[in-house]
Amino acid sequence: MDFKIAWRNIWRNPRRSILTICATSFACIVLVFMLSFQFGSYETMINTSVKIQTGHLQIQAEGYKEKNDIRLVISNGEKVAALLRDIPEVRGFSLRSQAFSLVSVKNRTYGALVTGIDPKTEPSVSRLKSLVRSGSFLGDGAQNEAIVGNLLAKNLRISIGDEITILGQGRDGSIAATVLKIKGIFSSGITELDRSALFIPLDTFNEVYTMQGAVHQVVIVLDSLSHVHRVKNRLIQGIQDISNDPPLVVLDWEELMPGLRQGIEMDLISGMIFYLILILVVAFSIMNTFLMAIFERTREFGVLMAIGVTPRRLTKLLLMESIGLTAIGIASGTIAGILITYYFQVHGIDVSGASEILSQFGIGGRLHPRLGVLSISIGPGAVLLITLLAALYPALKVQSFKPVEAMAAA
Amino acid sequence: MKRFLQILSVIILQSFITCTALAIDAQTLVEKSFAYIRGKASVSLVQMTIHRPRWERKMVIKAWTKGLKHSLFYIVSPPKDRGNGTLKRGREMWMYNPKVNRVIKVPPSMMAQSWMGSDFSNNDLAKSDSLLTDYTHKIIGTEAMDGKMVYVVESIPKLDAPVIWGMQRLKIREDLIWLEEIFYDENLKPVKMMKTLQIQPMGGKLYPKVWRMQKAGQEAKYTEITYLELEFKKDLPGSLFTITRLRNLRR
Repeated sequence: MDFKIAWRNIWRNPRRSILTICATSFACIVLVFMLSFQFGSYETMINTSVKIQTGHLQIQAEGYKEKNDIRLVISNGEKVAALLRDIPEVRGFSLRSQAFSLVSVKNRTYGALVTGIDPKTEPSVSRLKSLVRSGSFLGDGAQNEAIVGNLLAKNLRISIGDEITILGQGRDGSIAATVLKIKGIFSSGITELDRSALFIPLDTFNEVYTMQGAVHQVVIVLDSLSHVHRVKNRLIQGIQDISNDPPLVVLDWEELMPGLRQGIEMDLISGMIFYLILILVVAFSIMNTFLMAIFERTREFGVLMAIGVTPRRLTKLLLMESIGLTAIGIASGTIAGILITYYFQVHGIDVSGASEILSQFGIGGRLHPRLGVLSISIGPGAVLLITLLAALYPALKVQSFKPVEAMAAA
Repeated sequence: MKRFLQILSVIILQSFITCTALAIDAQTLVEKSFAYIRGKASVSLVQMTIHRPRWERKMVIKAWTKGLKHSLFYIVSPPKDRGNGTLKRGREMWMYNPKVNRVIKVPPSMMAQSWMGSDFSNNDLAKSDSLLTDYTHKIIGTEAMDGKMVYVVESIPKLDAPVIWGMQRLKIREDLIWLEEIFYDENLKPVKMMKTLQIQPMGGKLYPKVWRMQKAGQEAKYTEITYLELEFKKDLPGSLFTITRLRNLRR
């Protein structure tokens, strides 16, 4: 009965009601889309960065991340590997070694980070192989070949088949030098990597830098981003049994790429401020609708009270009206938002105009929003909550009405 | 009263002596001391010890110097690194590796990196005479050591000088022996210091035989240089300090 009255009341002033519904609905569309867009781009950022450089998790010797000292090694990579094979969430892992060295061709010399990778297992943890734009990926075994970033190749003016000299320092302090043939040139879109990275087979690295079989990093990729925390804890337990000097540590992607996490946090905060303003505007619009309704309908409320409707019931009626109004808005907005977002989730959004900035985060020319329970529910939920709070004031105000005075009002 | 006058005259006399002592031109002092260490040309055999808390490495290096700008280094041992060479001409540097038989020019961006993993940077080697040309010197005090006077010199870089230090502080003994050099950053915090540990007659004169280079606040890490042999020459041929020669040092 009350519900029927409330429903009728909503449509007594259809223009105003539709405007309010539109405002709510628009807020929901924007919120669903923007949140999905943000979450989608974060996931893209994390996954691309993780798969280009760091992996979800890494095992290193303590202090290696800060000092990058070639002598801080994992002496027994095989023991770590055995541990990882037992964990079902681990989708792939690979051993790496790194050393900063001079790379020289004729009279041009640049500093570069030389990374030794295992050509067999590397594709399971990084997209490096698919990023090789010309030439080919490293072959098996200890060949003297390398793949370089396209900017480094440009700086050194080299192409496939050319020879380069690297000069650095080995683990025992001796001078590490060798001549390498360029097998492939990669381009990741990450300027820093393309300008200063050079990959060689791990076996070659082992020989040139006298690593004596030791490595610097075990890079691990999991089946899902959400398993990082659990697997990390399990690994921390596991590596305690592996003796190493200095002891081994497990690092997750947030520790390996603190800049990425900070970037995401910054973006989320500025997004939140924008959303809050949007929701507040909608809330005021709802509040306005109901305040207007009360002033308009004072006489009606007076009559209702005079024939025995309790103030409580009136409040209930008004709340029902407001819930009805916002519910229509939120429902239509959320559905429209999901549809729009889904369209872009499938087709992607062309952002090639901003590719310069985005390439730092490893995002290519297209972004895909990602619908999830969170991105669908947070926005509309917040709109519902705040609009209900806004409607509460007029609904409670009715309680103070006196029947006779109210009926006397114009 | 008489006693007071006595004390006063002693004080005046003392300050007078200090004044005349300080009157020695700082620039001349640094230049002379530099010339004393480098000579016109020299041939030496040096042992370099890189010491780290859990690790130590010794290298024996043969070195030729000519004037203030030209140097050539050749690694004699360990056997694995034998034949590696470094040529320094003015501010430019090249390295040669016998295994790949190639000469690599050290780019300007790499000049702040460490040389052969030691606490010496490429800059320390290449710009060793920059102290003479890029700084203005001032004697800020004196100390005594083994009955000899030691001048404390403060060296501030000239305004447009291409240097990375904010200041250097030197201790030079009156017989021109270099005792200490402290490098400060732009905020005038000490970054690293080089100290003479042992002074002995070498190459026909007293010479700082053992030096130690150390970063500030890292006592467990240092690089020590010990002169095993040293001979001063009137001159060395300019052809010795060329890339061709760097490549053919072994022969």
